Amino acid sequence: MYVKSKWDEIKISWSFRVKEWKFILKRISESPLAVTGIAIIFGFLIIACLAPILAPPQGPDPFIVPQDIEIATLTPNPTPPSTRHIFGTTDQQYDIYYACIWGTISAFRVGLSVIIIALLIGLVIGTLSAYYGGIIDEILMRITDIIIAFPGLLLAMVMAITFPTVLPLDITLLTLIITAIFSLTLIISKSRRKLLLAILAVFVGDLFLYIYNPIIIPLNLSKLDKVLISLALVSWPGYARLIRSEVLRVKSEDFVEAAKVAGCSTLRIIVKHIWPNTIYSLIIVSTLDIGSIVLTAAALSFLGIGAEPNFADWGQIISRSRNWISRPDLLVANYHTFLIPGIFITLFVLGWNLLGDALRDVLDPMIRRR
Amino acid sequence: MLLLGLSENQALLGDLHRIIFSLNLNTPPLFFLQIKMVSLLTYIVRRLILLTFVLLGVTLLIFAITMLLPIEVRAMLYARNYQHISPQGLRELAEKYGLTRPFHEQYFTWLSQVLQGNLGWAKSSSQPVLEAMLSRWPYTFEIVILAAPIMIFLGIYLGIQSAIHKDGIIDHICRILSIVGWSLPSFWLGLLLLSVFYGLLGWLPPGPISDELRQIRDSSLFIRYTRIDLIDGLLNGYPQITLDVLKHAILPVVVIVVINMALLVRVMRSSMLEALNKPYIVTARAKGLDEKTVIYKHARRNALIPTVTLSGMLVAGLLGGLVITETVFAFGGLGQWAATAALQLDIPAVLGYAMLSAFLFVIANLIVDIMYAYLDPRIRLE
Amino acid sequence: MAEETLIEIKDLVVRFYTYAGVVEALDGINLKIKPGEILGLVGETGCGKSVTSLSILRLVPPPGKIESGKIILNKRDGENLNIVDLDNELIRKIRGKEISMIFQEPKAYLNPVYTVEDQIKESLLLHRKEEFLMRALDSLKKSGKETSFEAKIYERMLKKPDSILTRFLAKLIPKKVLDEEIRKEVINLLKSVGIADPERVAKMYPFELSGGMAQRALIAMALSSNPLMLIADEPTTNLDVTIQAQILELIRQLRENYKSSILYITHDLGVVAEICDRVAVMYAGNIVEVADVYKLFKSPLHPYTKGLLGSIPRPGQEFISIPGTVPSLINPPKGCRFHPRCQFSMDICREIKPNLVEIEKDHFVACHLYQGELKNER
Repeated sequence: MYVKSKWDEIKISWSFRVKEWKFILKRISESPLAVTGIAIIFGFLIIACLAPILAPPQGPDPFIVPQDIEIATLTPNPTPPSTRHIFGTTDQQYDIYYACIWGTISAFRVGLSVIIIALLIGLVIGTLSAYYGGIIDEILMRITDIIIAFPGLLLAMVMAITFPTVLPLDITLLTLIITAIFSLTLIISKSRRKLLLAILAVFVGDLFLYIYNPIIIPLNLSKLDKVLISLALVSWPGYARLIRSEVLRVKSEDFVEAAKVAGCSTLRIIVKHIWPNTIYSLIIVSTLDIGSIVLTAAALSFLGIGAEPNFADWGQIISRSRNWISRPDLLVANYHTFLIPGIFITLFVLGWNLLGDALRDVLDPMIRRR
Repeated sequence: MLLLGLSENQALLGDLHRIIFSLNLNTPPLFFLQIKMVSLLTYIVRRLILLTFVLLGVTLLIFAITMLLPIEVRAMLYARNYQHISPQGLRELAEKYGLTRPFHEQYFTWLSQVLQGNLGWAKSSSQPVLEAMLSRWPYTFEIVILAAPIMIFLGIYLGIQSAIHKDGIIDHICRILSIVGWSLPSFWLGLLLLSVFYGLLGWLPPGPISDELRQIRDSSLFIRYTRIDLIDGLLNGYPQITLDVLKHAILPVVVIVVINMALLVRVMRSSMLEALNKPYIVTARAKGLDEKTVIYKHARRNALIPTVTLSGMLVAGLLGGLVITETVFAFGGLGQWAATAALQLDIPAVLGYAMLSAFLFVIANLIVDIMYAYLDPRIRLE
Repeated sequence: MAEETLIEIKDLVVRFYTYAGVVEALDGINLKIKPGEILGLVGETGCGKSVTSLSILRLVPPPGKIESGKIILNKRDGENLNIVDLDNELIRKIRGKEISMIFQEPKAYLNPVYTVEDQIKESLLLHRKEEFLMRALDSLKKSGKETSFEAKIYERMLKKPDSILTRFLAKLIPKKVLDEEIRKEVINLLKSVGIADPERVAKMYPFELSGGMAQRALIAMALSSNPLMLIADEPTTNLDVTIQAQILELIRQLRENYKSSILYITHDLGVVAEICDRVAVMYAGNIVEVADVYKLFKSPLHPYTKGLLGSIPRPGQEFISIPGTVPSLINPPKGCRFHPRCQFSMDICREIKPNLVEIEKDHFVACHLYQGELKNER
């Protein structure tokens, strides 16, 4: 049996994966809860994409919720839903409808970016820890233990508050660290001499640059960005632990032994053999976490740490209701200020949770099947 | 992976996933459990050492983060009167209170003070940190002591029923309720309940205790044995205080129970389903045991293991303070205090709180590990 | 000449309704098990041996379902029961008592959180409760404590086992004497299966045992109620060969002592040759040949059996394997399920499924090769 060409080779090797994905998709489509979840997420996606049409921005920054000046001159109190404002306004006359629509984009942004950043950091640290074991594992795991032992919400709060608004990003330092880690990994795995030399050259050149003329780029961070970063920094240890336990599990499988015997380099083993087998748990966990992150970010906004007061964010809008906690009559009268944004949050998180749950039902037996 | 402990909402998603995935691996989910049990005493001693290490690490971490703040901001902590301090005055304050000294000096000074029992002064509440925490902790405790048993027992029961009647009506209802419950923002649920039960109906007000009864409690007639009003009310012969506290605690307890029970039901259900598919269940049936015994004697004991560990961690997280719920219901507990302190950058308060939380976390881990060892002989004897 | 049969399986059809399709696991099988014999059930993985054994105890897990057929059990007292139609209550009385089962991975089939003693005790209390209560009462009589509270409770447990008061009282007091009697029996049982240090092993948890010991413990548990039949589903497959030999010897002895039948399921023809009296060969959900063990090895009739025996590697002889692979049971071949791989297949084999017919005395084959002859002889 001759393989006709490289293209055929690729087709054959991918055909199994495609079959597996098709099976997964089929199983997902059979579960009503999963389909509901996907539909909800899709709905929000459409809202996010059509935001400029659904709620035209009135100013240079679309994320600033417009205030109705005309009504503001009459009364600072919230107005109930009307034809003028579909969902009503909060005190200071912020349009709730606008906040909800553009808040969708904020929600996606926060959820996805935090997960991606935390995943990346956790992936690197978890894999290193699991694969090399020994003292590296001990140290890294102690560090993650400490962060996990911490009251998470508080840590995020403190970080979000203390983070400087202008982050001087030292590119030279960053490059230094990255090249150092890279070269260390290559040294330990004793492979790719040429690549190692190249990276060491970059390292040395960068060192000079760092000492004599560091390149610093000032990054402006909005309050929401700070929340984003602090949430990511608090979440990565959890991922590191999960990835570590998954890598440990896969590491002991026979096919990894086989790959080692066949002479694969460490990088190849990790990237082509180990990581693809850990992917399923990661997908499930990340999907479920997106909902949690959004909830926590909303909670932080509610407490006053998240977005700026006029930022289009669901939690931020609801935080305005804190004024009436001790005034029951006002709380009931102004129910629209928290009811509708809250429904948005709940539905959004529900969508991701339904999807994550369905994925777990489908993918978990597949993990076990192995 | 989410934030352990405090977000009483999504506490422990990280551990949830690890627990659920470790059901596959048949390895104990808790990270501390890699230590073999030489003997119970050695085990506990080793864990206490770990506890100190973690506590130090936690405080170091917070200290380091707070160092990110500019010195002037930190000096403001010591200022009597914000408005009348010039930048020069701030710098002088900074000098005076040693804020300009190197990091390790500042840290060790603080540490030595802590070891002498002085946790510092909480500017945000104008009292020593220790006193602030001790006076507020009973309120948190009241909510937790009421919420924990309900959510644990109800969660376990519903999880088991859900698993036994898989794909039946109970199962579907429980699954939907638990997914929805998990998706609710706790502050939103709190606001909703408050507006209905307080705003509309006027039955259940916020706060930990009503004003008239508070006066009785603070008067000299009332001896505060435990400082926990629930119990003290009965001890002093004022049952109406206990009832009043219960009345105020209902809504926060409901919020906590709804959200956390959702998690427990899911974990219990999945671990029960896992246990029911195990080979030893076939043996049990082949022996001729009735289905009830098979489920409750054989499957449940195995399925409880991950659920119990999760419950332990949840309760530890709750004991550390319910930031959001307490804020919404103005309950005056640890969580609310810590949130205010953090907002005002009250560093001693935040540090003290961090230590308390980490301490509770590690102790809870220890207790959970012991329970786990009790339930699963494989851990005990390995 | 009505020969006694202990179990008679008639036209048993079992299907599994899976995502991938309907699996025709058992295609109307017929099997007779005689009292006191060791019947081997051989076949490749996936041919339906385990499903057969589980069906006898009605333990087929969902999505499996016994569609039709009969499984007749002839009990000691002459009663005949059709297991397929039996009430749940009644089938539980059979499980573990008249028919017991042991499995392939002994450590996995024991509950990890209970000791060996606890699990055997559970069996004993379930099936032999009255016996032990009597023994406890006797022992109390001997030590002169027959009027004690404990004795009264035991009497009540004998007379009114189901009343709520009895159950409440039973839970209240530590039943020391009863526990002691049971413990003695557990130790005896463990000794009888060849465990050297029964007191110590009884207190152990399953994960602490070696595979061989765990299997012995399972056998002890299965035989604790003196069953009519023991179903052994590949009990030695996962064990070392030396341990396997010991367990086989044990099973042989136990058949002598207890006089139970044994349905021994395996894919190892060597084991079959070692201990079985008769053998039934299964292929793809059908029984294709049943014969006395010597007859089967000496003159196998069915092409599949011939292929199996021929494929045993022997030094100096050519290695013959059966071409092709086992068919998927979701869409099994029409007619005789073996025909695609059979070198003797005829046109009729593609169309009509051959029945299991007695060709010689006590030698049954399901193959058109022999049925044609029979027809011709007539």
